[in-house]
Amino acid sequence: MKKRPRFGLYALVILSVVISFLPIVWLVLTSLKTTEGIYAWPPQYLPDPFTLKNYINIFTNSPELLLYVLNSFIVALGCTVVALSFGGMAGYALSRLGMRRAGVLMVFILAVSMFPPVSLLPSLFQTFLKLGLLNTYAGLIIAHTGLFLPFTVWMLASYFATLPPEIEEAARMDGMGFFRIFWSIVIPLSWPGFVATGLIVFIFSWNEFPLALVLMTQNAMRTAPVGISLYPGEYAFPWETISTATVIAIVPVLIITAIFQKQIVGGLTAGTGK
Amino acid sequence: MTSMISPLDRRRHLTGMAFITPTMLVIIAILVYPILQSIVLSFGQSSIDGSEPYQFVGLKHYAALAGNDRFWNALWVTLLFTGLSIPLELAMGIGLAVLMNEHFRFKGIARLAVLFPWALPTALNTLMWRWMYNTDYGLFNAAALQSGLVDRPINWLGDETLAMMSMVIVAVWKTSSFMALIILAGLQSIPRELYEAGRMDGMTRWQEFREITLPLLKGPILVALIVRSMDALRTFELPFNLTDGGPVTATESLSLYAYKVIFDFIEFNYGAAIVVVQFLVIFAMSLLYILTLRNKD
Repeated sequence: MKKRPRFGLYALVILSVVISFLPIVWLVLTSLKTTEGIYAWPPQYLPDPFTLKNYINIFTNSPELLLYVLNSFIVALGCTVVALSFGGMAGYALSRLGMRRAGVLMVFILAVSMFPPVSLLPSLFQTFLKLGLLNTYAGLIIAHTGLFLPFTVWMLASYFATLPPEIEEAARMDGMGFFRIFWSIVIPLSWPGFVATGLIVFIFSWNEFPLALVLMTQNAMRTAPVGISLYPGEYAFPWETISTATVIAIVPVLIITAIFQKQIVGGLTAGTGK
Repeated sequence: MTSMISPLDRRRHLTGMAFITPTMLVIIAILVYPILQSIVLSFGQSSIDGSEPYQFVGLKHYAALAGNDRFWNALWVTLLFTGLSIPLELAMGIGLAVLMNEHFRFKGIARLAVLFPWALPTALNTLMWRWMYNTDYGLFNAAALQSGLVDRPINWLGDETLAMMSMVIVAVWKTSSFMALIILAGLQSIPRELYEAGRMDGMTRWQEFREITLPLLKGPILVALIVRSMDALRTFELPFNLTDGGPVTATESLSLYAYKVIFDFIEFNYGAAIVVVQFLVIFAMSLLYILTLRNKD
């Protein structure tokens, strides 16, 4: 390896990092300004005076914005748990239980995953209305689970396929049933696969917009992306509140991404880079 | 035949069926049945709450679509948006991937930085950009005016051409990192020896890229392209939050128009016809995707 300073390389890296972060940094800076500072001319680039007032105001004046974040948590967590449970079992059946036509089923699951969410809306809305599932956590959790199960099945099936079959064979020799083997051997061995898949599904559900918009029509049930987008302003969009709420809503995703970067990247690129 | 199946295989088979049933039920309820029902709805007249009985009207809604300029505009906007953003994303994605494959300090932080735009909700990303594009108080106009580049604020989202460009920029910013991730995984699977051999032959870095890297990246690039195209063809919250489809309908995507027809204009069955057309466009893309994956194996 040559070790010479490569200014061009570093310049490009810094440029990419700056462009990637710019909207986020600008948003955080906005949330730390006073209302006058936000609308000042000449423009304020750095908060002057720096204030946490917007964050305090959210707690006192607009608690619904925090409720949106809580709703997002409940839905994303529920969706992750259900998708991992169902998808784990299906992925195991498809990769390890020698099912006939497993390949056809995998392609079927891949094909339905490409349906545009908006094309599901007329029917889903009508069905959910009839079943009383609009504005319920269970309803949106099921809907999100449906959207992201195909991805979960594919991820976990390809993970199970990497486990050495000898372990399961040995367990079967010992007289263990298929369910016991799955529960007490396969799952503990596959937790890295479950973690990577679960994180990505959580982020997908947290970020999902069209179904969350249509299936949660009551203000109190909205998820963070929808609730913040529809947040009413008196005569203009109240950017001091919006920027602050957005920061609060993206922090969980930023933290998850930062901590589990390797798992997420590994999961996303599994099977596509070969 | 049946006598060949051992009790063990039978148990295995039953377990497999039991394991796959919950997933199939959810997929059928949330993905398959709604699409079929949307098709049925698009050939009929009914009310959203089911208070009126369904009446078959044949191709009436599709005939109306054929003569609806706003529908053709939405289709054109969607295709234009896809056609403009995908090549840019690909170029940026390849660039970023090659960059992130180099060795430099603080690489972890740099990789994380380019991953963030992808990981955040598109709806909220779009709000951040809308704020930067803001004509009176946005960062871009503040910087442009203060530096004297322009003497009047630019109406980034109020001009038809500029609004489309602004929307493309947000999409490219958000998804280049996804392209880069997939391409980077491909880059890392290229054996080092190939480059060492290239260096022996006195190849320049550009020649290395053209003659070794690019041909071996064909597979991952194709996958990334198709996944992203399907994504772009169904873009919804980006125009919803950035411009609400405006000015007039300059950035109104097919998804956004279908949503408005169904939930704002309450023309339920007409909207169903639009989503069926959109579904067919995307389904054609997904078939292409599956055929590509098949050919790779």
